[in-house]
Amino acid sequence: MSPLRDVAQLIWLVPALPLMALALVGGRVLLGRAHGDAAEPLTARLCGLAALGSLCILLLIDLGALLYGAPGYRLFGAWFASGRWQATLSFLMDPLALAVATVAALIGWLVMRFSANYLHREAGFHRFFIALCLFLAGIQLVFLSGNGLLAFVGWEMCGVSSFLLIGYAWERPTATGNALFAFITNRAGDAGFLLGLGFAAAWLGSFEWPSLTAPGALTMLSARLLAFGFIVAALAKSAQLPFTPWIARALEGPTPSSAIFYGAVMVHAGVYLMLRLSPLLAQVPDLMAGLVVAGVVTALYAWLCSLVQTDVKSALIFATVFQVALMFVAIGLGWTTLATIHLCLHAGWRTWQFLMAPSWLALAPHAPRPAPAWLQRSQLLYTAALERFWLDRLALVLLAKPTAGFAHDMQELDTQFIDRVVGEPGRGDPVQADLPLIAADGVPGRLLAGVAQRCQQVEMHLSLRGRGGAAELALRRMGLWLRTVEHLLERPRYLMMAVMATFVVIL
Amino acid sequence: MLKVLVFLPVLGAAIVAMLPERFAGWRWRVAMLSALASLGHTLWLAAAFDPAGLAIQFHESRPWNVRLGSFFALGIDGIALSMVLLTALLSLIAVLVSRRMSAGSRLYFTLVLLLESAMFGVFTARDWSLFYVFWEATLIPLFFMIDRLGGPDRQRAALNFFLYTLGGSVFMLVALLFLYDAAPGHSFAMNDMAAGGRDLPLRTQLLIFAGLFIGFGVKMPVFPLHGWLPLAHVEAPSPVSILLSGVLLKMGAYGLIRAAETLPAALLALQSALAVLALVSLVYGAVLAWRQQDLKSMVAYSSISHMGVVLLGIATLNVVGLTGAVMQMVAHGLTAAMLFLIVGLLYQRTHSRDLADYGCLLGRAPRFAFFTAFGLLAAIGLPGTAGFVAELHALVGGFSAWGAWVVLVFAGLLIGAAYGLRVIGRLCLRGLPTQEIADMTRTEAAAAGLLAVTVVALGVWPTPLIDLVAGSVDRVGRLFGG
Repeated sequence: MSPLRDVAQLIWLVPALPLMALALVGGRVLLGRAHGDAAEPLTARLCGLAALGSLCILLLIDLGALLYGAPGYRLFGAWFASGRWQATLSFLMDPLALAVATVAALIGWLVMRFSANYLHREAGFHRFFIALCLFLAGIQLVFLSGNGLLAFVGWEMCGVSSFLLIGYAWERPTATGNALFAFITNRAGDAGFLLGLGFAAAWLGSFEWPSLTAPGALTMLSARLLAFGFIVAALAKSAQLPFTPWIARALEGPTPSSAIFYGAVMVHAGVYLMLRLSPLLAQVPDLMAGLVVAGVVTALYAWLCSLVQTDVKSALIFATVFQVALMFVAIGLGWTTLATIHLCLHAGWRTWQFLMAPSWLALAPHAPRPAPAWLQRSQLLYTAALERFWLDRLALVLLAKPTAGFAHDMQELDTQFIDRVVGEPGRGDPVQADLPLIAADGVPGRLLAGVAQRCQQVEMHLSLRGRGGAAELALRRMGLWLRTVEHLLERPRYLMMAVMATFVVIL
Repeated sequence: MLKVLVFLPVLGAAIVAMLPERFAGWRWRVAMLSALASLGHTLWLAAAFDPAGLAIQFHESRPWNVRLGSFFALGIDGIALSMVLLTALLSLIAVLVSRRMSAGSRLYFTLVLLLESAMFGVFTARDWSLFYVFWEATLIPLFFMIDRLGGPDRQRAALNFFLYTLGGSVFMLVALLFLYDAAPGHSFAMNDMAAGGRDLPLRTQLLIFAGLFIGFGVKMPVFPLHGWLPLAHVEAPSPVSILLSGVLLKMGAYGLIRAAETLPAALLALQSALAVLALVSLVYGAVLAWRQQDLKSMVAYSSISHMGVVLLGIATLNVVGLTGAVMQMVAHGLTAAMLFLIVGLLYQRTHSRDLADYGCLLGRAPRFAFFTAFGLLAAIGLPGTAGFVAELHALVGGFSAWGAWVVLVFAGLLIGAAYGLRVIGRLCLRGLPTQEIADMTRTEAAAAGLLAVTVVALGVWPTPLIDLVAGSVDRVGRLFGG
C-alpha cells in the first residue's frame, strides 16, 4: 500500500480540523483570553491552519485518486442504531465529492486569510472565525459524507453558521431580522431533507448514498417522494424559486462570509445534493422536468432583478442566483458533468468578485450602466423587478401573518383556559392552614390535594406515631386492659382461680 | 475473604470503643480508616468477581450447628456484591460527615461500625439462619443510635422502629422454620432451602412466602407496613438516616429477591398482588411526600415511593425488571443518602426542618444550594442520573408484564417531580430573602460530592453495574421463564 492510498483514511480530519480550531478558539473566548489586538493573530492563525490542513489532506487524496483511482466509499464505524436502520460514520470519496470539496477547502482557506485583515479590530473578530470554522466543518461533511444523515448534520451546521453570520452585527434589528428570515426559509428546506431521510429509513433501511442511488431499489412512487424531499432541500439551500428572497437578505453579514456562503460555496450545496442524487433523479423524469422549469423561471427572475440593482452585492447575488439556476437546468436536462464543472468554475470566479466588492467603487472606471431601455419603458415589469416580484410581501401576507395570528389565538386559549385548568406553579390555595407551602392549583393539583388529604387520614390510622394515630390509641387502650388484668392476677385469690381454671381445662 | 469483610468493621469498632478518653480526636480517624479499609476490600472483591463465572463466588462454608443443619456460610453473587459496595460506600459517608461529632462519639462510631459489619453479614450470608442472625443484629446498633442520639421524640421512634421490625422478623423466623421443616433436606443453607422450596406444593409456598414477605415488607417498606419509617427517619440523627434509607431498606428488597429464588411458584401466583402493592406504595408515598412541609419527612415518604419502584421491578419477574430493581436499589441508596445528608446538615445549622422557615440558599451557601438541587433532581430521576436508568428498566420490565398499567408509575414520578421542584424553587432560586447559614464544610462537600459523582457516573455509564448484576439477575429471571 502506498502512503497516498492510506491518506484516504484521514478523510475524517477534513471536517474535524475546523471543529478542533473552533473548540480551541471557543475555549480561549470562554476563558477570557481573547481580548484586544494581541489575541487576533492566534485565532486567525489557528483557523487558517485548520483550513489549510483540510485543503492539504484533500489535495493528497486527490493526487492518490488521480494515480490510483478514487477511494470511493469508506465506512469508519457506527454512530447509533435504532430498529433496523443504522446511522454510520461513512465517507464517500468519488470524483464529484473530491472535486467540489477541494474547491470548497481552497476557497475556505483563502477566505480565512482574507478575513484576518478584513475584520481586524472588529468587535466580533473571534465570533466570526468560530462561525466560519463551523461552516467549513459543516460544508465538508455535506460534500464528503457517505450517507444522508451525516450530510444532514453538516447541512444544519451550515444553516446555523449562516444564521450566526447574517446576524453578525446583532445590535442592528435589520441584521437579526434578516438572519431569522434566512434561517426560517432554510428550515423549509431542512424539512424536505428530513422528509427524504425519513422515507429512506422507512423504505430502504439505510441512509448511505450508494444504496439511495442504487437503481431499481424503489418503486416509482417511492422514488418520486424521496427525490421530492431532497429537491425541496436543494431549492431552499440554493435559493431557487420560491425560496429566492432569503439570499438577498442574507448579504447583511460581513463581506467575506457573504463571499463564501452565498457567492461561492453554500449556495452550491443544493446543486451538489442534486448531483449526488442524480442517479435517483434519473428514475423520475417528471421531477427532472420540474427542475428545469424551476431553473428557467429562477433564471428569468434573477436576470430581471439584477438589471435594476444599484448596489454591488445585490447585483452580484442575483447574478449568482442566475448561474445557479442554469446549473439546475443542466441537471434537469441530465448534463451532470457540465453542471459540476460549471459549479467549480463559478465558485472560484464568484469568490473573487465578492471579495473585491468593497473596493469595486474605487476600481470601476466609470458609472455602471443604467437598466436597459426596454425595461424602463415597461413600467409594470420595471416596478416588479425593483420590488423583486413582491415575493417578500407575499410570504409575509400568506405565511407569516396567518401564523402570527394563529399563535396569538393559541396564546389567548392558553392563558384564558388551559392555564386555569392545568394550574400554575406557586398559585392556588394551601391544603391546610398550617402548611402554607403545600398549595395546589388547577384540576390535577386539586385532585392531588384531595388524594393527599385522604392518604394522610389513612396514614394517621395506620401508623403508630406520636401525633395521636389511631393504632397508637388502640394499643394504649389494650395496654390499659393488660395492666388491669395484671393487677388482678397479682392478688392471690385471682391467681389461684387462674391456676384452678388451667387445671380444669387440662383435665 | 468474606469473613475478613464481615469482621473487619468489628475490629475497628473494638479499637474505637477501647480508645481512652484523651485520644477522643482519634475516634473519627480510626473509624474512617476502618471504613476506608472496608471499602477498599469490597472494591478488591468487585475487581476479583467474575460476572460470567459461578453463581456464588468467594463461597466459604463450615458447619455451625450440625444437629440443626445450619452453616456459617458466606458467599456473594452480583446482586449481593452491588449491595455490599453500596454498604461500604454509605458507611464511609456516614463516618465522614460525623467528623465534628463530639458528644457520644465513642458510642456512635462503635455502633456505626458494628452496624456496617451486620449489614455486610446480611448481604453475604448464604445460610438463612446466619442471615437471620445478622438481620436481627442490625437492629441493636440502630436502636441505640436512634434512642441515644436522635431528636426530641427519639425514645418513641426507637421503640416504634424496634417493635415494628422485630414484629416483622418474627413472622420471617416462623416462615423460615416452617420452610426448614417442610423442605426435605433439613438444612438452613440457602441453596439447600431453595432446592427444597421449589418442589413444595403451592399452598405451602404461599404460606411461607407470606411470612417472609411480612418480614421483608416491613423493612422495605411496603404500603401498609411502613408505619415505623417516617417517625424513625425524622428522629434519627442524619448519618443514621443515611444508613437507614440507604442500606437498611435495601435489605428488605434483597431478602425478597432471595425469597423469590426459594419460592418461585408463590411469586408467580402473587405476581399481580405484588404489583398492586408496589403501585400503591409508589403513589401513596409520593402523594404523602408531596403533602409534607417538613423536609425530612418528605424525604422519608419519598423513600416509600422509590422502594415501590424496586418492588415493581421484582414483581415483573423478568430480567429487565429485576435489573431495574437492583439498579433502583443502588440509585435510591445513593440519592436518599444524599438528600438525608443535606437535610440533616441543614437541620444541624438551623434547627428547623420546616420548609417555610428557610430562605434562599444561593447567596450565602452555594454548595448547599448546588447539592440540594442536584440531590432532588437525581431523586426525580433526571436523565444522566442513576435513578433514570433504574426507573427506565423497571418501566420497560413492567410494561412487558402488565402493559399500560405502568402509567401509574408515571403518576408517582410526576408527583415526585412536583415536590422536588417545589423545594428547589424555595431553596435554590432567587426571590426569597437570603438564608443566613454557614455553607457546607469541605468534608461535608466531599461526602456529598462523592455521592454525586457516583450518581452521575452510574447514570451516564451504567454498563459496569448492569454487567455486574447481569449473571445473577439472569439466573433469577430464568426461574420464572423470563
